[in-house]
Amino acid sequence: MARVEYDDVSKRFPTQDRPAVDHLGLDVANGEFLVLLGPSGCGKTTALRMLAGLEYPDSGDILIDGRSVVRLEPKDRDVALVFQSYALYPHMSVRDNIQYPLRVRKQLTAMERLSKVDRVADLLGIRQLLPRRPAQLSGGEQQRVALARAIVREPRVFLMDEPLSNLDAKLRTHTRTELKALQKQLGVTTIFVTHDQAEAMTMGDRIAVLDAGKLQQLGTPDNVYQRPANLFVAQFIGSPPMNIVDARRDGGALVLTGGWRVEAPRGLAGSDGIKVGLRPESIDLERAPASGAQPAEVLVSEPLGSEVIVNVKLGDALLKIRTGPDVRPDPGTPVYLRARPGGVRVFDASSGAALN
Amino acid sequence: MTTRAASRVARTAAAPRGASWIEALAVHAVFVLVVVFFLVPFLWLFTAAFDADAVAYIRFPAAPTLNNFVRIFTEHDFGRALLNSVFVAGSTMVLDVIAVALAGYSLSRLEWRFKSWITYAVLLLQTMPLSATMVPIYGLARALGLRNSYAGLILIHAAIELPFLVWLMKNFFDNVPRYLEEAAWLDGRSKLRALAEIVLPVARNGIGVVAGLAFLAAWAEVLMMIILIDSQDLKTVPLAFYETLRTQGGYTEVQYGLVAAMGVLYAVPVMALFLMTRRMMVRGLVASSRGL
Repeated sequence: MARVEYDDVSKRFPTQDRPAVDHLGLDVANGEFLVLLGPSGCGKTTALRMLAGLEYPDSGDILIDGRSVVRLEPKDRDVALVFQSYALYPHMSVRDNIQYPLRVRKQLTAMERLSKVDRVADLLGIRQLLPRRPAQLSGGEQQRVALARAIVREPRVFLMDEPLSNLDAKLRTHTRTELKALQKQLGVTTIFVTHDQAEAMTMGDRIAVLDAGKLQQLGTPDNVYQRPANLFVAQFIGSPPMNIVDARRDGGALVLTGGWRVEAPRGLAGSDGIKVGLRPESIDLERAPASGAQPAEVLVSEPLGSEVIVNVKLGDALLKIRTGPDVRPDPGTPVYLRARPGGVRVFDASSGAALN
Repeated sequence: MTTRAASRVARTAAAPRGASWIEALAVHAVFVLVVVFFLVPFLWLFTAAFDADAVAYIRFPAAPTLNNFVRIFTEHDFGRALLNSVFVAGSTMVLDVIAVALAGYSLSRLEWRFKSWITYAVLLLQTMPLSATMVPIYGLARALGLRNSYAGLILIHAAIELPFLVWLMKNFFDNVPRYLEEAAWLDGRSKLRALAEIVLPVARNGIGVVAGLAFLAAWAEVLMMIILIDSQDLKTVPLAFYETLRTQGGYTEVQYGLVAAMGVLYAVPVMALFLMTRRMMVRGLVASSRGL
């Protein structure tokens, strides 16, 4: 139960020429589930390890409940970290693994420790695994034991470094849901690192998107999805990602590649060198010509069961459009596109920053 | 149907083997030669030890006897020599394991200036022939009053193997995943306790190898024993050998039976120890290679 702050934190590794974390500022509220999201090498794990005390920042400060922790040893920070590889102690039974942090603290008697281990094991459904060794467990079971070891000591903050990435796809989706429910139940401030935007969208109260060590955007999943702060976020989040096409301004309209005219969003600043972003579901696809609809040609349709992604050629750009499961135009079919009002995002072509 | 298929499989599998049986024979012949070459001295040792009139070649004793063993204990104080050797080798082992665990960990994990230089300097030390440093070691031991003392024997034997063992242990530590001790730190352990409770148990097969090699090196070393010890109370097994060879008729008439009996008692405990630790090491390796 704690508030975590990153205050202008930077870190550069000696062997690299650009900072791993570059002037990062974040404020994580008590009980919040914050996801650090970004491609590999974006600095998200380094940011997490600095909070754990496993790396030291070159500058800036990290605070837990208003008190700086950068000078504290990892053991004195009262944070628990679930490692990507789980880091279970191979020479100890599952029970000893889970009670290890309690044994270290020496506040409980052996009886209290064991009953606490049993309670946490019940919570995670791993009671029958307690006598076994980590080597005898499946990946999913090891992941639960790692989680139990973090939970049992009731730390101020949970840190999770891609804890789901070693699970198979089905188990990952399942554990995602469970983990989120568990975090809400325990109410412990959690910082969760992942490169998987679907994980970030489904689990986070807020998402901090990082690239090249810099914070690109911090916001709720909806906010980050609907109003990406720049081209990087627009293309990193969403599957398929946002369509980005070159455009120019023409009075109250934007002229996209292929000559498609869409209404410019209100309050749009700047005019030269812009790109327009359209989510796959922000484009309506019509089979008959209509006034204001842009003609285009279907390249291929990709049915996904509950939806179909129609790939459309517009000028020299390829647009991906999300439609209902019944719409499956054949390649070469002429179709007519209409941008949904409010779905048009405009970016500066050189800086990448959102302009509306 | 299935038998025909099986026989076809057997034929195709047998074909290349049949073509290269000469090759196999040659390999085995060389192998047998090597085995014989190494086994002959042992065969001599075990036959001569039980032979009252042992000679310098292999022959099976006409009337096997334990008389040689009785004589080395009664006439040559071999019990004392064995105890001294066990004590020196055992103490060297303990000292080396402690020093190597700390130094190897430091080289593997901690960050300090000139670390890579020192890591290679450590290995360079091992290339120095012992006989080249024999004279300074002798002078140093005499100046420090370490001649004719257990402390001198133990310290010098511990130091001789230290560079190689440190390097070896560093590599064992390199193979222990870093996140294991990081997890222990975050669970609330200090770095030293995390080393003792997590890193060392996970690297236990490495510790076993280091302990075995340290013991064996001190157990089998001769040169330093000769230059450091002339007290009867402190003589070790190699010195007992040397003495037995020398005093029996001034090199003219060697009592092969006594030497062989000493050799058996010198070799067998170490071989037994090796067989025991080998099983332990294999178990350790299998356990630590899974589920990390």
